[in-house]
Amino acid sequence: MTPEVMLAGGYASALMLGALALEWLSAHTHRRSIRYRTAGFAYHADHDAWTCPEGEYLWPHELDHERRLMRYRARAHVCNACPVKERCTDSDHGREVVRLLDPWPHSEAGRFHRVIAVMLVALAGLVLLVAIVRNHAPLELAVLGTLLGVTTVVGRFLLRDLRNHPAGFPEPTRSRGSRSWSSRS
Amino acid sequence: MAGERRGLLVSKGWIQAVILVVLIGFFVLGLLAYRTYQAKPPIPERVVDPAGELLYSGRDVERGQEVFLNNGLMEYGSVFGHGAYLGPDYTADYLRRSANYVSRSYGGARSDRAAQRTTEDFRTNRYAERTGVLELTAPQAEAHRRLVGHYSRFFSEPTTKNGLRPDAITDRDDLRALTAFFGWTAWAGAAERPGHNYSYTNNWPPEPRVANEPTANVIVWSVLSLIALLGGIGLLFAAFGRWNFLGWHGREQATLSFRTPGDVALTPAQRACAWFFFVMAALFVVQVVVGAASQHYRAELSSFFGINLAELLPFNLMRTWHVQLAIFWVATSFVAAGIFLAPMIARREPRGQGKLAFLLLGALAVVVFGTLIGSFLGVHGLLGDAASNWFGLQGFEYLDLARIWQVLLSIGLFVWVFMLWRVLRTRLRGEHAANMPWLFFLAALAIPAFYAIGLIAQTGQHFTVNEFWRFWVVHLWVEDFLELFTTVMVAYMFVLLGVVRERVALTVIFLDIILYSLGGVIGTMHHLYFSGEPAEHMALGAFFSAAEVIPLTFLTVEAWSFLQLGAAQESKSRTPFPHRWAVLFLVAVGFWNFLGAGIFGFLINLPVVSYYEIGTALTANHGHAAMMGVYGMLAIGLAMFCLRYLIPAERWPERWARISFWSTNLGLAWMCFATLLPLGIAQLYKSVNDGYWEARDLRFLTEDTNALLEWLRLPGDIVFIVGGALPVLYIGYLGIRHTVKRVTLEEPEDILFTEVSEPAGLPKPDVEEAAAARVT
Ligand code: HEM
Ligand SMILES: [Fe+2]
Repeated sequence: MTPEVMLAGGYASALMLGALALEWLSAHTHRRSIRYRTAGFAYHADHDAWTCPEGEYLWPHELDHERRLMRYRARAHVCNACPVKERCTDSDHGREVVRLLDPWPHSEAGRFHRVIAVMLVALAGLVLLVAIVRNHAPLELAVLGTLLGVTTVVGRFLLRDLRNHPAGFPEPTRSRGSRSWSSRS
Repeated sequence: MAGERRGLLVSKGWIQAVILVVLIGFFVLGLLAYRTYQAKPPIPERVVDPAGELLYSGRDVERGQEVFLNNGLMEYGSVFGHGAYLGPDYTADYLRRSANYVSRSYGGARSDRAAQRTTEDFRTNRYAERTGVLELTAPQAEAHRRLVGHYSRFFSEPTTKNGLRPDAITDRDDLRALTAFFGWTAWAGAAERPGHNYSYTNNWPPEPRVANEPTANVIVWSVLSLIALLGGIGLLFAAFGRWNFLGWHGREQATLSFRTPGDVALTPAQRACAWFFFVMAALFVVQVVVGAASQHYRAELSSFFGINLAELLPFNLMRTWHVQLAIFWVATSFVAAGIFLAPMIARREPRGQGKLAFLLLGALAVVVFGTLIGSFLGVHGLLGDAASNWFGLQGFEYLDLARIWQVLLSIGLFVWVFMLWRVLRTRLRGEHAANMPWLFFLAALAIPAFYAIGLIAQTGQHFTVNEFWRFWVVHLWVEDFLELFTTVMVAYMFVLLGVVRERVALTVIFLDIILYSLGGVIGTMHHLYFSGEPAEHMALGAFFSAAEVIPLTFLTVEAWSFLQLGAAQESKSRTPFPHRWAVLFLVAVGFWNFLGAGIFGFLINLPVVSYYEIGTALTANHGHAAMMGVYGMLAIGLAMFCLRYLIPAERWPERWARISFWSTNLGLAWMCFATLLPLGIAQLYKSVNDGYWEARDLRFLTEDTNALLEWLRLPGDIVFIVGGALPVLYIGYLGIRHTVKRVTLEEPEDILFTEVSEPAGLPKPDVEEAAAARVT
């Protein structure tokens, strides 16, 4: 095998690994950042409820289809009497916590990472194709061909994943200024 | 507000920590400045052969450095690994060529004895401090004489085949001086420091012919800096594993409604920003086109798509324009964004600010065009020596511009800070000096303050000293003060949008200052491992700059996304969030901070890696991913944010914003991954395996496989320019063509949003406002 083939194969594999790492990272960042807004609050999946740092429960309160999120709320009178209310909420209807089903901008940030991942795999494919065009020994073709097969599989996986994660930007994106504003109010 | 000052919103401990970290950092940097002057490689008064005949004088070295800089040769090749990458590194080149000659004259490469004597000749330090005389051995002296001939032929080449203009340098004295300068750097690269067994440059460049290998310091501090990184990350996660440490627990926002762009009245200075952003976009387009042209010289040296453009626009001219415009357009955007945000923070704008803004833009234009023209005159050798320094080209990579423009730019940036102060004055009086308005002001002040430090570098001054001060600007700007200003601005944008609480934003800013300054201040020295500084610069630089990676990864994965959360649509706003693409550009900033600055930066940060790779595509890979990825994307993001209010909502070209976002990012990623990274790795491999000189040799870079790699970037470049830069220009054009007409000098309290107590009841836009927004 010529050094070029080894380099092309190695680099294409590295690109694919990088793409998969990005894919993982995009999910991971999302998970972590969600924690900020609910920092100090614990979610109990078995009850589908949260507890606040002071131990009060927040129960499901509204499923917002339009914004794809679930709202949980604590009892108003408990919150209003709470000594740390100032640091927690300015609502008098009890502290609310939301669980986002597919929140923007993380949805689109994740999409950004996934698109880059797809690009990396496409580049890996291109590198392998160029190497195949330039090197024809049977062993070389076998190695490069196999890798190209792997690239296709990974690429399809990433593409499907990309399709399953829409940008989720709350439309309408094209605001039309005060005209649309007044027409909707 | 006057009378009662608003107290500090966060704990005093933050301020104390910041002061401590910054003071310690700059104290150490001060010591290192002192050591730089003390331990720089000496410039001999006379360099002589064994018979005592003068080869070159200290004045020649100085003169050669001026020729090198004023002709823009640092934008063609490099010295001590710093400069451009098309030409050779002249330190390594001189060393290689003279070592080859010396070795031949002792009996050739195959003789052990010859190799040993060559090494001895170069490593023995025959400089006598008392007399100021450096005596070279007979073969070394003869090698020097021959190299005068070699470099004379090279630089007076009558064609453009080297990428320089024809007959670039023809004056015999200049050519002699230039060779003397190269010779002196090569001497410092191999001669052992008194009392040490390594050279003035910590044995850089790698050169087996003179036994230049990584020193013990290079290895030890590489290992220790790795440990610093891992330890730092561990500590960070231990400390922050529990977020309550920072005193933030998620807080619910009042329901709010974003004001629709077009309903937000603008001040005269804000409206002037439209022109700033248009200029920014134009400079951006020129910068990338010029960059593509300079890239083309690598792939196809002798002709530019068949035309011999090099006669008029040689490589080094393209390169210096490319580098300087990058700084200019990013700075333009920062300046404009500052002017735009200030009245929103102060809720008022004094009269005359709009005029001042236009004046500043005019001054900026003078500096930009002055610089571009000056570079042209300098590279073409059309100015005399002194004039070239003042009006042509000083020639320090990144600080290339002529002195007059450098002074003017510094003054202009101070004027900008003064403009911000005019607006913020009353607001500042009512605030604790560590609250956000003050931090905004101080972060802005740091920008010209550190730019002005670049004035200490002077073409006729010792190269090592110049490099030291030059990187105060290059490094401290991008890795400390711009990051800081960025965080303050982004935090403020979200505070103004009503989606992040001021207290939380303040905490993030303080955390940011501490984390960046901890590693970033002393980390400046990671650029100076091999430029003639003593070993402690390398030790401290490696150790502390490793810590820089921590905030980059941390801020990306953690705090940065915390700020982004602000944009989430969980509150029940009925108006659409107006800043989709501004926020996504900020997402991109986070990504490139992580990849371009954090990963690609650390990739070349260990002294032992830097030793072999400095001045290769691996540095370019990091430079592009970090500079365009972080500050380029940020500049565009800020422009998008402001332009959103400058362009009436119905004119806002959502589609072009989207196209430009994807194209800039994909284009940049393609450029790094298709060409710069793999080529850099190939060069690193070559450098360790065969030698640094070989890795930098154009014959290696243009050989079969590597030439292919250079071509592979083409699609990415096209996407970047056509899909990325041009749409930004179009959006900038819309900004000046349709600037929102409503003008005010007073802003309402919540400029960018209104709080709505009942989700159902949206505030009715008053008729007048709506009408005004339509006048376009
Ligand atoms: C946004 C942040 C950053 C920007 C814009 C940036 C930009 C640059 C640029 C343009 C260069 C090229 C210098 C030259 O060609 O002489 C460079 C070099 C370098 N950078 Fe960065 N950088 C950033 C962050 C970092 C970080 C975090 C590290 C390390 C942890 C780092 C380490 C290095 C090293 C080791 C070099 C090569 C040394 C040299 O040749 O001077 N950079 N950087
Ligand atoms: Fe740096």
